[in-house]
Amino acid sequence: MRGSVRKIVIVGGGSAGWMAAAALSRTPDRQIELIESSDIGVIGVGEATLPTIRFFNNTLGINEIEFVRKTQATFKLGIEFRDWAGPGTSFFHGFSDFGPPIQGVSAHQLWLKTRRPDELLSYQDFSITTAAARAGRFAGPAEDKRSVLGSYSYGYHFDAGLYAAFLRGQAESRGVRRRDARIVDVRLRGEDGFISGVVLDGGEVVEGDLFIDCSGFAGLLIERALGAGFEDWSQWLPCDRAFAVGCESAGSTMPATRATARSAGWQWRIPLQHRIGNGHVFSSRFLSDDEAAATLLANLDGKPIGEPRLLKFTAGRRRKSWIRNCVALGLASGFVEPLESTSIHLIELGLGRLLELFPAQGFEPRLADEYNRQMAQRFESIRDFLILHYCIARGDDGPFWRERRESPIPDTLRAQIELFAATGQVSIRDSGSFGEPSWVSIYFGNRLWPRRYDPLADLIDDTQLRHVLDQRRHIVASAAQALPDHMAFIAAHCRADAA
Amino acid sequence: MSVVEEGVDRRLRSIVIVGGGTAGWMAAAALAQVLKGRFGPVRLIESAEIGTVGVGEATIPSLAGFHELLGIDERDFVCRTGATFKLGIEFRDWHRPGTSFFHPFGGYGVGLDPAIFQSFWLRARAEGDTRGLAEWSINNLAAARGRFAPQGQGVGPLSYAYHFDASRYAQYLRAYAEVRGVERIEGRIEAVVHTRPERVDAVRLADGRVIEGDLFLDCSGFHGLLLAGALDEGFEDWSHWLPCDRAVAVGSARAGAFTPFTCSTAMEAGWRWRIPLQQRTGNGYVYCSRDVSDDEATARLLGELDGSAVGEPRLLRFTAGRRKRSWVGNCVALGLAAGFLEPLESTSIHLIQTGIGRLLSLFPDRDFDPVIAREYNRLTALEYERIRDFIILHYSASQRDDTDFWRRVRSMPLPEELAYRQSMFERTGHNVAFEEEAFLLPSWLSIYAGHQVWPARHEPIIDAIPRAELERGLSAMHAAIDQAANSFPGHADYVARLCG
Repeated sequence: MRGSVRKIVIVGGGSAGWMAAAALSRTPDRQIELIESSDIGVIGVGEATLPTIRFFNNTLGINEIEFVRKTQATFKLGIEFRDWAGPGTSFFHGFSDFGPPIQGVSAHQLWLKTRRPDELLSYQDFSITTAAARAGRFAGPAEDKRSVLGSYSYGYHFDAGLYAAFLRGQAESRGVRRRDARIVDVRLRGEDGFISGVVLDGGEVVEGDLFIDCSGFAGLLIERALGAGFEDWSQWLPCDRAFAVGCESAGSTMPATRATARSAGWQWRIPLQHRIGNGHVFSSRFLSDDEAAATLLANLDGKPIGEPRLLKFTAGRRRKSWIRNCVALGLASGFVEPLESTSIHLIELGLGRLLELFPAQGFEPRLADEYNRQMAQRFESIRDFLILHYCIARGDDGPFWRERRESPIPDTLRAQIELFAATGQVSIRDSGSFGEPSWVSIYFGNRLWPRRYDPLADLIDDTQLRHVLDQRRHIVASAAQALPDHMAFIAAHCRADAA
Repeated sequence: MSVVEEGVDRRLRSIVIVGGGTAGWMAAAALAQVLKGRFGPVRLIESAEIGTVGVGEATIPSLAGFHELLGIDERDFVCRTGATFKLGIEFRDWHRPGTSFFHPFGGYGVGLDPAIFQSFWLRARAEGDTRGLAEWSINNLAAARGRFAPQGQGVGPLSYAYHFDASRYAQYLRAYAEVRGVERIEGRIEAVVHTRPERVDAVRLADGRVIEGDLFLDCSGFHGLLLAGALDEGFEDWSHWLPCDRAVAVGSARAGAFTPFTCSTAMEAGWRWRIPLQQRTGNGYVYCSRDVSDDEATARLLGELDGSAVGEPRLLRFTAGRRKRSWVGNCVALGLAAGFLEPLESTSIHLIQTGIGRLLSLFPDRDFDPVIAREYNRLTALEYERIRDFIILHYSASQRDDTDFWRRVRSMPLPEELAYRQSMFERTGHNVAFEEEAFLLPSWLSIYAGHQVWPARHEPIIDAIPRAELERGLSAMHAAIDQAANSFPGHADYVARLCG
């Protein structure tokens, strides 16, 4: 075991690097240096998040209004999935549930019992985030957690480059030193293989005790220097490319991300205050780059801003993201497509675990074991949730979607789907990840109807049940209408300075 | 596809519970209360000839949730079953002869996240604070002073459980269930009728009656009439980790005021329980038959009683482990028929309760889709294994070396997850939590600390707090706990007033 960590070197800027710098700069008595090269572009364009980012920002003492203004952010109540259940379809995955259980029976089971055969998606009427997002309305949740308006959560859409710059300001004001340089080599200590330093393009060597690899897909430290190895998940998540482009915004904006199924993947739409971020995630086995770019450009709300940029990736994760004195965060630690906006979330999780297991008194190998165990579990449960989106979708009946429906899936996910199909019960394998309402949103949204509803729903008087559900529907609808318009809310509280 | 196919009602039409005792009557009471007869009659078959195993029984705080579901009033229950209150367990002689430590319910500190408290305390200890872990538990301070109250000024509601006579508890629940329509059938089961694999059609009683049912609950105890017997479901044997295979139990006359905690005392070849009830005390010696004969064990138990024995000592035999599946086809095993873990952490009733809860949340219809049983069995297996590992830790971390039994249990190879979490705690101070954990971080901490298992570091989340501030925070917390404990009435007084 080596001595304590006095100097932390973060390799790479971008969201991961500056999130790490901002969070680690709050630990006492440490010198932090971040190396990034201004010639290497950051990948982030429009970025969507989960609600957990608010907790992360809070721990950094970030003022929300200032953050929203400086990052061109808008608010996010969930994701709209278009065309996944077949052309012309739409469903929501909102950051709220479908109402509280009655006598222990989940709200979605109660809906199943009472729905008429022609009512496909009316369970969404119980989701306040879905109702509000569809109406283009937003306000922060009320204090009273028992009221409909207090029972939801929200995330953001923002410009990832601006978020990194915002965090850079925070980190630098707390003493983080930034160097503009490229890394040309990594030095390992002979005796134990720990990283002793990184060599910059000018020949200088930056030494440190702990190295955070935020170098993106390349994994300069964790992979190239330490050979972590990569677990390839592309048999389950075959999309391997994306074109991304911004476009002009055509006015009012729904407080939700949109994910539209395409013939060999899907397209994101992330509304920012000043423009819209768009991207087309696709599988190169089924679609050429030219076709993919053309599809993207043909499906924009407004005029494109610049040329579409091509990104290449492989779904999967590093077998270990903490090795010796190196911890990888962000793309350096693994990649799953941004279908559920989990990229920033995984960085938050990594940083949270790192702070909890921080090697303050030396690099006890068990710290890395536990970090790697927890991150593997989180990554895999998110992976399975994403695979679910594909394997029960209908898409457009072309070869890509046919293959997705027919391909094998992980055994754990298969068991989860079988249980839901039989009973409507959601089997949660990782209590720290997506919960019951999220799974229900994807199952129901793709028209996976269970063969039965919870028999215990029959214990509730039918007339009364229908009455309560009608009342809930009504309350949700009127609560959503009572919220301010999303854009008006931003204009009143947190409009960004002119770009 | 419609949710329920038109015109086909696949709902259960009847439920048969095989066996009375705690498991059977808990299930009967819960099903009567929740199902309200809507899934046909609930019938329970028991034979007055077959004794129930329960003597003095101790529980954990989760039982309050079960009583809430049943709408049971605490006062009514405590007074009618002769129950006492339980704030935790004292472990005597476990670490070494002459030592004692306490596993309190409710954890440590006041209003602090358990992980934060753990870091706080480990850091204070590393910096020379000599106050033991137990000093930070309201339950421990109250228990040590023989006091009890369900809540206290500055410490909020306490987490507590009960001691009671299991057969009186079963009677109490029987009355509850019968009032709510459960039919009790007196009779001894002679045969199980099953014409298809993994499906029980009926049971035949000694007097020739045949009781049919859609769903069968096997609460037949160690006999395991349905699952182990008729359906021949295998058993996962854990006796290489938990070698105790017998217990001798006897009641004794009450000596002095009853304590608000269970006492577990390590013995040469196992351990001895002392469970204080209102009228008398339950005692038992759990031992390994390889190390001590039944006669010796009985003599040792009788020699340790603090009051004269009531009735004859009873011998119980068991094997630690669980049925590979506790739900097979249309048959669900609860209680001893599902598995056995020695009562060191009073988990028997908890496991019955969570089994009933899982059954209700995965409630079947007549199709008995195997995916339902698969999920039930997955969750059950996880829960048993987590509790198993917690119990093993009590033995494996001990430093007793006075008998062959203790030398063996200290040196046995551990289950992989337990070895992982213990070495994680020792080397990093991180207290690992897996899914479906019945005992949370503070419980593990109490056993580690009791066995002097200290981590090489504490988690650094609280390092930014200056020493003086840490000191002030801890002292204020300690004062609040100490004061609250002193304000409580004596346990016996509290019970007397409640039932007076």
